[in-house]
Amino acid sequence: MKKLLLVVLVILIAGMALAVEEITFWHSYSTNSGEYNLLTEKIIPEFEKSFPEIKVKETQVNYDDMRQRLIVGTAAGALGDVIRMDIIWVPQFADIEMLVPVDVVFAEEFAEIEDSFLPGPLSTCEWNGHYYGLPLDTNTQVLLWNKKLFEEVGLSEGPKTMEEFVEFAKLLTKDKDGDGQIDQWGYADSGLGPWNSIPWIYSFGGYILDQTNQKAEGFVNSEGSIQALQTFKDLRDAGCIADTIVGGGGIGTFEGYAEDIYAMILAGPWAWPIIKGQYPDAEINAVIFPAGAGGSRSVVGGENIVITETSEHKEASWEFVKYMTSYEVQKAFVEVSQMPVLNSLVEDKAIIEHPYFQVFMQQLKTAVARSPHPGWNQINDIMDQAWQDVIVADYDVKESLDYAAEQIEEVIAEYE
Amino acid sequence: MKRTTRRKFAGFLFVLPGMMAYLVWTIYPILNGFYMSLFKWNLNPKIPNDFIGLENYIELFQDSQFYVALVNTIKYAIITVPFQMVLGLLVALLLNKGMKGQTLFRLLFYLPVITSWVVVSVLFQYLFATRGGIVNFILKDVFHLIKTDIKWLAQTSTAMIPIYVLGIWKGIGWTMLIFLAGLQSIPKQLYEAARIDGANSWKLFTKVTAPLLRPTFVFQLVMLTIGGFNVFLSVFIMTGGGPRNSTHVLNTYMFKEAFEYFHFGYGAAIAVVFFLMVFTISQLQRRFLKREPY
Repeated sequence: MKKLLLVVLVILIAGMALAVEEITFWHSYSTNSGEYNLLTEKIIPEFEKSFPEIKVKETQVNYDDMRQRLIVGTAAGALGDVIRMDIIWVPQFADIEMLVPVDVVFAEEFAEIEDSFLPGPLSTCEWNGHYYGLPLDTNTQVLLWNKKLFEEVGLSEGPKTMEEFVEFAKLLTKDKDGDGQIDQWGYADSGLGPWNSIPWIYSFGGYILDQTNQKAEGFVNSEGSIQALQTFKDLRDAGCIADTIVGGGGIGTFEGYAEDIYAMILAGPWAWPIIKGQYPDAEINAVIFPAGAGGSRSVVGGENIVITETSEHKEASWEFVKYMTSYEVQKAFVEVSQMPVLNSLVEDKAIIEHPYFQVFMQQLKTAVARSPHPGWNQINDIMDQAWQDVIVADYDVKESLDYAAEQIEEVIAEYE
Repeated sequence: MKRTTRRKFAGFLFVLPGMMAYLVWTIYPILNGFYMSLFKWNLNPKIPNDFIGLENYIELFQDSQFYVALVNTIKYAIITVPFQMVLGLLVALLLNKGMKGQTLFRLLFYLPVITSWVVVSVLFQYLFATRGGIVNFILKDVFHLIKTDIKWLAQTSTAMIPIYVLGIWKGIGWTMLIFLAGLQSIPKQLYEAARIDGANSWKLFTKVTAPLLRPTFVFQLVMLTIGGFNVFLSVFIMTGGGPRNSTHVLNTYMFKEAFEYFHFGYGAAIAVVFFLMVFTISQLQRRFLKREPY
């Protein structure tokens, strides 16, 4: 009798466990953000209501710890089922077969929704002809210009073209206290890596890799890429670009912009809450990156949502991924300032009425994704080094980029 | 069981927990690191690893970036270790005189030691900022030693200096504490006897203090050298290896190869070379400095 009871009990428990599938969702929304509150109080509960057989357990990991956590989790075979992952990590984890190729496993459904995504963000999910996730949120960088400093030199609008930018930057660089040292700069940025240099390179009509992400020679050292770096160097030599590009420390670009030290900076949408948080009275004005021979191009940032190969609930995870990229959820996230990835939301009222998303959505139309390649971290550092060689150590522009091409070709060969 | 065997067995049991921890957390990773260094190691355990023999090592010894990191690491140890010891000794001598408020000063000097590397690295970035950094302010506006601001962290020729200064400043408290302990263990009678023999304070220091502090010196030299070779966070945060990869040390370079580029086998090869180097140097130091002073 006792035994029978036990068997019945075991079957019951097993049955219950089977009925409810639990999936874990790793993300790095900071716990005091509007996004986090929305996710935990509205988005997940509503999903669980429409899919009573699936339970979502969200796990917050700080962005700075996420990569480490993913590496350890990969080695131990213990990752979350669904992960919100920085776009530039996706090809690297796809290459070591940790991510589910959604265009293969969920081929039919993927084909149905593929066209609803903005092409720039969607391209960041692709590696080796397959898609290893869906875009979740996106961003880009635009040019902020300081109205007060502009008016001081008789300007009233941000630059539209590269020629204007160069002219303005020179006008806005000053030695105010007359000690022989510049103390107001026309332009400031936080580094020289591709995140910072892509707007320059592509707006000048240059490239890093070709369309297929398999060739650097003739692209990274193309005429446009050379001109971009040369123009940047000339401006730097004229004293118009602050030391923050080479890690000079001190006043960051946001603070310097708010304190009228830097007249123009490159910034993503997160600049608004940060600047307004510290300087509630600061006025922020933004334009798309000044256009050169290649038009106005900027760099795509953001996160993708991926399913891990270690997941035992891939179907349930896919339901959650589809839900997170659906119109309703994407729109709900706009309210808490997360930029959407759907074509259908570009012209949406929520975007048009948003205090500062419009300029970003306009910039996103032509923004370039950093090449989705598992060796991107290396390519990133090679590019950073090439620019630093020229800016810090006065190397010849063409020679540096030729050398970069050679090194990047080696990285690409490593993954063939 | 015989009594002696039982006692041996009990002894073994007492050592066992520590021994296990040492085997699991120290010996096993070292051996496993060596094993990994022979492969093109893949992070995903389901993908088989390619055995490539010594290829990682061959590549390593032809890698100019590795030598930059190696030289930086050795330079860091050579520069920071003596400064920490000399300055720590000076502070210890001052604070051993029984002057007023010395407990407070001991605490103040020791504070940097227990402060997080992350916090002080960020702090030093600000101190050494080109514009608005207090170091340039003092040099230029207070003492007029320089005409234009020095781009401390923004040029290759000076970027290591803030890292050295941080390492020394953060280490003085520890050397001070160890020297203080050493100083207090010197019997007072020796000083009295020397004074009766007519020794002045310099003689007291060279003939009594210094020789009796010798074991402390040796201990510090070995520990600080190992610590110096392990420099990581200050470089990682203050320069990230830049500008132009000029400030990489072995740890930052290893971290980059393994965790940024997923070259785990290569990173393991760096770790093995690093281990052999530190091991050899500590053994040499121990051998040459073992002799008892008196």
